[in-house]
Amino acid sequence: MDLGLIAQHVVNGLMMGLIYALVAVGFTLFFGVLDIIKFSHGDVLTWGVFSALTVYIGLDIIGLHAPWLTLIIVTVVSMALIGALGALIAKVLILPLRKAPPLNVLLITLMLGTVLRESIRLFYPDGANPKRFPALLPDWSHTWGNFTLRFDNTVMLITGIALIVLVQVLIKRTKLGMAIRAVSQDEETARIMGINFNMVVFITFAIGSALAAYAGVTYGLYYNELSFNMGLLLGAIGFSAAAVGGFGNIYGAIVGGFLFAALQTIGAAALPFASAYKDVFAFGVVIMIMAFKPSGLLGEKETERV
Amino acid sequence: MTLQTSLLSVQKLEKNFGGVKALADLNLEVGQNQIMGLIGPNGSGKTTFFNVLTGIYPVTSGKIYFEGHDITNFTPQKVYRAGVARTFQRSRLLLELSILDNILLGNHNRLNNGLWFNMFRRGALQQQFNDRLEKARELINIFDESLAGNIFEPVAKLPMISRRRIEICRALISRPKLLLLDEPSAGMTHDETFRLIDDILEIKSKVQNLTIIIIEHEMSVMERITDHCAVLNFGEKICEGTYEQVSSDKNVQEAYLGMD
Amino acid sequence: MNIQQRSKSSFIPALAAVILGAVYMVFFLAAESELEVFGLLLGAGVVLLILRKMGVLDKIGRGASDNSMAFGACVAVAAAAISLYFYDDNFVLFLIGSVLAYTLTCLGLNIQFGFVGVVNFAGASFFGVGCYTAAILTKHTATPHLLILVLGGLAAAALGFLILVPVLKTRGHYAALVTIAFALLFKTFLEVNDTLGGPQGLKCDGLHILGWDFNTDIIIGSFEGSFYLGYIAVILVLCVLGFVFARRMEESWIGLNMDAVRLDETVSACFGLSIPTWKVAAFTVGNFYCGLAGAFYAMMLGYIAPTNFTFGDSLILLSIVILGGLGSSWGAVAATGIIILLPEKFQMLQEYRFLIFAALVIGILLFRPQGLLPRTLRSFAPLRSRQG
Repeated sequence: MDLGLIAQHVVNGLMMGLIYALVAVGFTLFFGVLDIIKFSHGDVLTWGVFSALTVYIGLDIIGLHAPWLTLIIVTVVSMALIGALGALIAKVLILPLRKAPPLNVLLITLMLGTVLRESIRLFYPDGANPKRFPALLPDWSHTWGNFTLRFDNTVMLITGIALIVLVQVLIKRTKLGMAIRAVSQDEETARIMGINFNMVVFITFAIGSALAAYAGVTYGLYYNELSFNMGLLLGAIGFSAAAVGGFGNIYGAIVGGFLFAALQTIGAAALPFASAYKDVFAFGVVIMIMAFKPSGLLGEKETERV
Repeated sequence: MTLQTSLLSVQKLEKNFGGVKALADLNLEVGQNQIMGLIGPNGSGKTTFFNVLTGIYPVTSGKIYFEGHDITNFTPQKVYRAGVARTFQRSRLLLELSILDNILLGNHNRLNNGLWFNMFRRGALQQQFNDRLEKARELINIFDESLAGNIFEPVAKLPMISRRRIEICRALISRPKLLLLDEPSAGMTHDETFRLIDDILEIKSKVQNLTIIIIEHEMSVMERITDHCAVLNFGEKICEGTYEQVSSDKNVQEAYLGMD
Repeated sequence: MNIQQRSKSSFIPALAAVILGAVYMVFFLAAESELEVFGLLLGAGVVLLILRKMGVLDKIGRGASDNSMAFGACVAVAAAAISLYFYDDNFVLFLIGSVLAYTLTCLGLNIQFGFVGVVNFAGASFFGVGCYTAAILTKHTATPHLLILVLGGLAAAALGFLILVPVLKTRGHYAALVTIAFALLFKTFLEVNDTLGGPQGLKCDGLHILGWDFNTDIIIGSFEGSFYLGYIAVILVLCVLGFVFARRMEESWIGLNMDAVRLDETVSACFGLSIPTWKVAAFTVGNFYCGLAGAFYAMMLGYIAPTNFTFGDSLILLSIVILGGLGSSWGAVAATGIIILLPEKFQMLQEYRFLIFAALVIGILLFRPQGLLPRTLRSFAPLRSRQG
């Protein structure tokens, strides 16, 4: 096996792992705070990258052509917009349904995901066809033998991981993070302690959704392509990553994301004749893991009170 | 009380949740046909004990023997089949379903649940159904005639005391050897509680083989119904004896601070 | 002990409702312009509102449930009558056949979701398993076609068993994940597999039972009926059987156990129920329905392709189950008709149907979660009828 090819696979795996981890962290935050699975998360990601594309087109029209600045604006604006969308979803759909059976929330968010997805397909100009995402990072690269290390991938990896670390720090070290953790543990006690439950929920959803938007932009920059249904599979993968790591556990989500990507890479390398099988392989292994360790690799948070 | 006459023998039972010691070195012997009361302040481990006994939580260490057999870490299903039935602290009925549905759920071990029987042997199913319907009516009638008359009505609209009575019937219909009652009188008035105890005693007098462990905060209940009491605090038994004995014990009074 | 037995409600209102409903369906199916259809819908809406205010709907409901066998028979006869009315209209007949096939599928999903509470996000995929089983077996073997229908059901049931078992001991949302993954990957798996026809799909033979080729038109004397009439007869029988089976299951200990597992697993466990057993039982039976319907559909259509079995199609099936009323068999029947027929009559709805139905489900879950024809309380009526 040629080292250059292996290194290529590794970089690819790392990129996908990063994207999955970002999505998975969102899922796990939502589960942690409200014990719910928000199945529209993948399609929120799609809205994230489409809004980024729209902002880019807007900037392009008004004549801004500085790639670095454009990139920053596009990313920040889409994260903010989608963060707001996440909070709005929490306010309108999720919070009112808190007392309903959890299956109802799963269903409603799944249907919401369909609404989001179909809205793009039907209402975005030429929404049904895949679109090109602009390459906003310079394409410098350095080649060693068979392996090409691209600058843009490196930047994305580093910033992505930095963002995850930032979220970690936020959760573990700040007052807001403590409030989020308190609410995850026990809503009633948190309320009694004076924590504004609703506000914490909105902020958590905003953070999770903003992360999804960032993941979407990363995906767009990496693959240079976006389509209206990209969020479906990404959402399912993010969900399984969070599940296999252990719901409610941020480290678990990160591990799960990279694990899934690793499995896909192994699957693709071992079965080069059809890329579809890599997903089957990865999902299959993840399901097997959950069969043996139902609460996930790093442990799920306890939820039931008898 | 020696081990031979004990129906239930709990030895050095420990249950930890992460860092919290819910049960710490609990030792208990419950004799055949006894009514034992479990007393203790909130958080002393009484409901946790029930949950561990019925297999909902795994044991951290220690042993539980029922009728001489080791039932430690049995699944809830196996504990039920061994002859233990319970009610829950926060009433857990299936609110969407009817009174009859809820009571008959407790009778699972005596119903033929196979696909062939239920789908194709309708005559036999009908017989079994009518027989069980009769038994359920008889049972709930002891507690509340109006419920017996409306046995196909949904549970959701009923007041809390009716629901508690139905829950007790659900536990009783399988003729358990050991009945675990978790705060059955919660939410009832004094008169309703009195009536409930009458009904429970009536059941006990009619059945050959029934041992009861009852958790209660209402001390008049304990005084009236129990043969023997155990007091828990911080997951340990701090006192044991008749109600009179434990209620006048200094340690118990301290634990309760202001108990009368 | 004095138990008052309410006397049986009269069947007349319910019978009238069935007859009028059948006439309405004929008009609806025959309507050509979208204006006509819109008018019919509006009219029906107004009439239903008036009937509800007058309490007539209640009378119909009670009459139907007190005389359930007669009611069921009347509805089946009405369906046959409607089909005979359109005896030479291939398009309408194929539509009726499809609606019945989807009804059977949704009755199965109802057992999984409404009874035991396991969500199946891959209903269309299991339907597809039945289709492909039929296509392969008709083209490559000489298996009798009735057996193929059963095998289609068994294949779906077996596959469902395989993917559910690993996640049985886990929380409910893992079962959701597993079926979502299956739904997403099924279509891709088919498209990359040339032995299964790839993206073009496969041809499937028409139904042949006891030498009768169902693809020949039916000619009796001067009557020349479309060959689809034969197919409708078959799927109508299957639907009736499936319906009766599901209702029987509901009004028995099986239904009680499944409901208990759905409503409270801890309590169920404390009274001896094996949670995995009931989940597997319901899931497998439900998938059998899906596969059976799929095998039939493939033979009726003559051709299948992966594009029919997307995740979105599975979501539409779930929307039907939720719209009708979770666990309600009659609800599933009514809702299938509504959700499949409306886009056929309003062409513009076709393009927007995923969006509209998703929004509809959100609305129902928020404002009327019990659905159109909410499931009624178990009364064990079939077992009580002979009681004194």
